[in-house]
Amino acid sequence: MITPLPVDAPAVPAPLVPGRPARGYWKEATGRLRRNRIGVTSGLVLLFFVVVAVTSPLLAAVFTQADPRHIDLLNTFLPPFSPHHILGTDDLGRDELTRMLYGAQVSMGIGFLSVGVALTIGAGVGLLAGYYGGLLDGLLMRFVDIILAVPAIFLFILMSILFKPNTITLALIIASVGWGSIARLVRGEVLSVRTRDFMIATRALGASDARLILRHLLPNVLHVLIVFGSLYLGQVVLIEAALDFLGLGISPATPSWGNMLTNSETFFFHSSWLVIWPGVTIFVTVLAANLFGNAIRDAFDPRLR
Amino acid sequence: MPGPLLEVRDLKTQFSTPEGVVKAVDGVSFELHAGETLGIVGESGCGKSVTALSIMRLVPRPGRIVGGQVLFEGRDLAKLSNAQMQEIRGESIAMIFQDPMTSLNPVFRVGWQVSEPLLLHRSMPQAKALQGGTIMLGRVGIPSPETRARDFPHHFSGGMRQRAMIAMGLTTTPPVLIADEPTTALDVTIQAQILDLLRNANREFGTATILITHNLGVVAGMCERVMVMYAGRIVESGLTTDVFAHPKHPYTWSLLRSIPRLDAERHEPLKPIEGMPPDLIAPPPGCAFHPRCPFKVERCSRDVPALNRVGDQLAACWVTQSGVELKDA
Repeated sequence: MITPLPVDAPAVPAPLVPGRPARGYWKEATGRLRRNRIGVTSGLVLLFFVVVAVTSPLLAAVFTQADPRHIDLLNTFLPPFSPHHILGTDDLGRDELTRMLYGAQVSMGIGFLSVGVALTIGAGVGLLAGYYGGLLDGLLMRFVDIILAVPAIFLFILMSILFKPNTITLALIIASVGWGSIARLVRGEVLSVRTRDFMIATRALGASDARLILRHLLPNVLHVLIVFGSLYLGQVVLIEAALDFLGLGISPATPSWGNMLTNSETFFFHSSWLVIWPGVTIFVTVLAANLFGNAIRDAFDPRLR
Repeated sequence: MPGPLLEVRDLKTQFSTPEGVVKAVDGVSFELHAGETLGIVGESGCGKSVTALSIMRLVPRPGRIVGGQVLFEGRDLAKLSNAQMQEIRGESIAMIFQDPMTSLNPVFRVGWQVSEPLLLHRSMPQAKALQGGTIMLGRVGIPSPETRARDFPHHFSGGMRQRAMIAMGLTTTPPVLIADEPTTALDVTIQAQILDLLRNANREFGTATILITHNLGVVAGMCERVMVMYAGRIVESGLTTDVFAHPKHPYTWSLLRSIPRLDAERHEPLKPIEGMPPDLIAPPPGCAFHPRCPFKVERCSRDVPALNRVGDQLAACWVTQSGVELKDA
């Protein structure tokens, strides 16, 4: 049915090696990431905390057999490595390890939820503003400017007063500021991709705006989202801990790393482990998120190759 | 003879810039019949590409089509909704762009991109569309298309990418193909292959082709008819053989004398066209070419000449319309 076009190009014999694997952008990027030892290590650290967060009730049942809210006034300020309390107990006799395990739930839950929400909104706004430009771009970007011009801590305080924070509302509160920077980044990237010839070539094929944005533009800005998302995770964990510490975060009864710091600051000289466990954990998490983010950026950003 | 497939009537496209309104296309009219190859030549910035983009309704901001009609099979494209226009693009009129290096999306496999028009216009299942795209890649001379379809654009050379672009344009076998300087970014040997490919597509699928170029040699080898554009207007149009043998507009005449010829006397110098292309915000009054024209008469700086029959072709020139032959002084 189909005869080949008579083309004057020399007939090239079929290659002897069939199905030469084509290494694409993603494969090359993940390959580079896998060779980065610090990146892999910090990724594993993050993965460890995620696993802890997901399985914390199970881990608590197996290792500590304690309830994070169980108050035991006969056993307050037990030092680490006490029997049944490997990491000691706090001022109310609650088991530190159990509270740390459950704290991971809060930090990771809020972390990933915030990142997810901020990335979705930020990417959407950035894509629309960058693609359509003009008045829509002006309005959306001035709105972003306004949000980013107000010191974030005031917005967090204001919203914490307006909405009683639980895990979900706190994640939304943090994301409601974070999406602005993502929108800016994505818009900038879209502006540079939009003018490339393949965009107009694809329009010339009859593609709709929605298809152009979702199928052609989004994959071209995805690397920005991945890099920013992983760096932003560390920030969110830090912000969440800070809000808890200020008493503006999640309700004090809930075990979270930030709340554990709040209660312990008065006992720093008396029982320093109450500061050290949550403090070091937050530090390690944020460091891992930042190092992982850097590794991903090195792997994905073509300009750094 | 049936009516023209594509008819452009008095097309006017302008760009509003802070410096003023650029009249990029200023009253262009022409017809394209089924199966023919029409060349549009002219120097950079004369409105060739904007004419093509206007037909596709893809003029980038701040450009705007301010007047005229583009009739495809009798339907005015300007009056179609965006959704209807999307149906025309790629299905009825396809376009190939100048720079194959940037005209493919870097994050998608070539086969997927070539089959995209089939997904868009034929609502085929993905696997079947991919099959069609792969067959097309083979037909434009990509060796072992099944394997290469899985490659990404950066695995392709410039010539192969342009072949892939042509395959993309032809998968739906559109009646009209607009090729905007398809060979400019390629080296000479690849140019010849790409032109062969376009000629074969024209012959096999009956695709009417508008070939936009600044290369007179390409036009001579490819096109039955040619239009010469200058400052957003058509200054001469006719059968390629007539226009090249007996140019009836001083611009065409000068263009032809500014390129080297095999049969020229040894050491005969090339004769460049004096002066600069006109400023399209404030073009010269009268004929836009008159400041550079060696034949100009008093009337040229006053009235704009219309495109009228001179000899075997059409020319917009007061001098030749009054019967004067263009000859070396």
